[in-house]
Amino acid sequence: MRKIFLIAQREYVANIRTKGFWFGIIFIPVLLLTAIVVPMLLERTKDARRYAVVDRSGWLADAVDRRVAGGDLSSALNKTIEWYQEGDDDYGQLPLVLQDVTPVLAELESQQVGLFARLVIAEGYGTGDGLSEDARRTLADYGAAVHTWWSTLPASEAAELFSSVSANRYVRVRPSDTTQAALNRMVAEDEIFAYFVIGEEPVAGSEGAKYLSNNLTDDDLRNWYGRRASQEVQARRMAEEAIDPQVARWIQEPVRWEMLKVTDTGEEEAVEQRDKLRQWAPVAFVYLLWISVFSVSQMLMTNTVEEKSNRVIEVLLSSVSSMELLAGKIVGIATTGLTLVGSWLLVFFLGTKFVPRMLGAPPSFDLAALASDPVYIGSFLVYFLLGYLLYAAVLVAMGSLCNTVTDAQNMMPAVLLVLIIPLLTMVPIGQDPNGALARGMSFIPPFTPFVMMNRAAGPPAMWEYVATTLLLVVSILVAWWAGAKVFRIGILLTGKPPKIREVLRWVRAPVGAVPERRER
Amino acid sequence: MDLALTLDGITKRFGDVVAVNDVSLRVPQGCIYGFLGPNGAGKTTTIRMIMSIFYPDAGSITVLGSATPESVKDRLGYLPEEKGLYKKMKTGELVAYFGKLKGLGGAEARTRAEALLVGFGLGDWIDKKTEALSKGMSQKVQILSTLIHEPELVILDEPFAGLDPVNVQVVRDVILDMKRQGRTVIFSTHVMEQAEQICDYIFLINKGRKVLDGTLAEARASGDKAVVIDYEGDGSILKRLPGVRRVSDAGKTAEIFLAEGTNPQDILKQLVGQLQIRRFDTREPSLHEVFIRAVGADSDA
Repeated sequence: MRKIFLIAQREYVANIRTKGFWFGIIFIPVLLLTAIVVPMLLERTKDARRYAVVDRSGWLADAVDRRVAGGDLSSALNKTIEWYQEGDDDYGQLPLVLQDVTPVLAELESQQVGLFARLVIAEGYGTGDGLSEDARRTLADYGAAVHTWWSTLPASEAAELFSSVSANRYVRVRPSDTTQAALNRMVAEDEIFAYFVIGEEPVAGSEGAKYLSNNLTDDDLRNWYGRRASQEVQARRMAEEAIDPQVARWIQEPVRWEMLKVTDTGEEEAVEQRDKLRQWAPVAFVYLLWISVFSVSQMLMTNTVEEKSNRVIEVLLSSVSSMELLAGKIVGIATTGLTLVGSWLLVFFLGTKFVPRMLGAPPSFDLAALASDPVYIGSFLVYFLLGYLLYAAVLVAMGSLCNTVTDAQNMMPAVLLVLIIPLLTMVPIGQDPNGALARGMSFIPPFTPFVMMNRAAGPPAMWEYVATTLLLVVSILVAWWAGAKVFRIGILLTGKPPKIREVLRWVRAPVGAVPERRER
Repeated sequence: MDLALTLDGITKRFGDVVAVNDVSLRVPQGCIYGFLGPNGAGKTTTIRMIMSIFYPDAGSITVLGSATPESVKDRLGYLPEEKGLYKKMKTGELVAYFGKLKGLGGAEARTRAEALLVGFGLGDWIDKKTEALSKGMSQKVQILSTLIHEPELVILDEPFAGLDPVNVQVVRDVILDMKRQGRTVIFSTHVMEQAEQICDYIFLINKGRKVLDGTLAEARASGDKAVVIDYEGDGSILKRLPGVRRVSDAGKTAEIFLAEGTNPQDILKQLVGQLQIRRFDTREPSLHEVFIRAVGADSDA
């Protein structure tokens, strides 16, 4: 035991001192950070799209502009409501008129706030179509003041105060020359991103409506402008047919399904956003598990090959038995791996706790609680150890056969071919964690750790946990029984690595006997 | 006489190949025993069985009085033919590590390692990584690693290979020193002169079988009487001399093996006038000759 401990200790210290280990420590955090931050930064740094509109109808473009302005004011008002409710510092900086109106608006439904904003923009303070009694009074009392504030607020200031205003993403330009030839040139020279042509009779049909751009992949602008134009056209059509907008809305109202989940005790419970996240959180753990199992068991292999190519192995074997050596290495690398994985988990937890918040995600977006869910963390650690033990047995046996790291690298594709499968099935299993595919694959030992981790949101039945784990443990024992036999012979072997058939003969041979090498 | 090592009819097969075939050997305590033999003769396999890296298929091994060699591993020291060091470990730590594997306590291993390294002129390298060592230095470090726990029986496989004359002398002194302390040293070599200089006993193995075993004098006596000459001139006439059975001619020195009943004086008389003789010496054959003859005879059979 003492010798096993000594070997494990040396392995641990030697590994901790390598640059590779520290690279591994920072690798995952950097990857995680990049995966979260880069898309957000990209989104944020995207230039505002400049577009032009040729309006042959004479009214639609202006109507869309008003709708856009209404939407902007609405989102701005929602922001001030949020500041008011959270007691944010920014709230105190707002003009007094807003500090007066916001508490009143905060009492309204959000749809009413949107309508309120639209009417403010249209300066229709008296109409109050579709507004509740309270909202109508608010409009009459404060509408004009809000309009003055909004229309005198410089665009740049608005953009800075309220990140959601459309001007941050789409800017309508009004070129003096609105012939299509001139606009085409502007598109070609990248002065504008795209331009819209509105037909003469948009209410009648889409004839003459065009969208021209030389970017075919980014549909955001077309969808955004198109949706607003459609809404205006639909409103006109309803007016022409004398359809009450309320009635129209009611007709178009889709059937909405309230999502509920059934708990273990058979009760109904509302589904929150975190439940959906919870469903997908295991996928992140599967990735982490995969990288951990793969890199740590590979560490054991490289390490064995190095000891062999360094010719240290025989000196060691004069002091310890090959089984003590093997046990020491497994333990040493396992502790190294646990250190590495532990640091990753810590970063994963801290990262999910603070990074989304820093980037402005709502507090309900609670990834950290998921990242530290005991079921996930527990499964992760157990499956890391079991997965490591299984793959380590195979890789250490392979390592013992190789004389150079290159030999070992040549054998890796075979292992990768097996390891890649749980990655490919990750999404289907995540969608249906208790389906036939998921259940079947749980019982294939090389996949068990990954698939069971993948299914953790299901979660699988207790008997499945027990049965698959038993099967996995048995496979690990068999793998080590065979791996140790190969290791015992392989580590003293020089020359070219043996063929697989020869290795199989070693496995069948009784302990202590050394079969002859036929291929020389 | 106490025996450090007894091999009793040990046999080791690798598949159909018999690497060591029914070998018996007795190594007395406190002597230097030379294991000789051509490449692939079974030396390393025999040594590995003594170190319980392999187990014999038949026969028994008694090491330091124990019939289970594994139980006395900590009292043995072994320097394999294929030697290496952990490149990224510091020299002092490495030597101490091998001491600890042999059962030394951490602090003691450290103290001894430093004392040994300083004693062998490697004091400056204690805190340097072993990859910075020259080949000769790393071989010294390897030898120190096998000696740090003061083993009672040391097995050195080719300890002189790749060493310059100064370091050969250092290693030879280490071996002689151990003998003086009453410890037993077994070493294998290809260089007969080295074996001749320090061995008390010789064990010669070829194709897995013991060919010769005994004191250095016994080993030599097993060979033919010979005359050694240093000469100038055409050596081809040597073979044509009457009463000469065989000649081993190196150009300026020749070993002449005489037929039964030939008087060396007659040979000298015939040589005078034909060659310029600078030295004429009658003696027992060299170990080199014994080796060539034993191995050659075996391969003829």
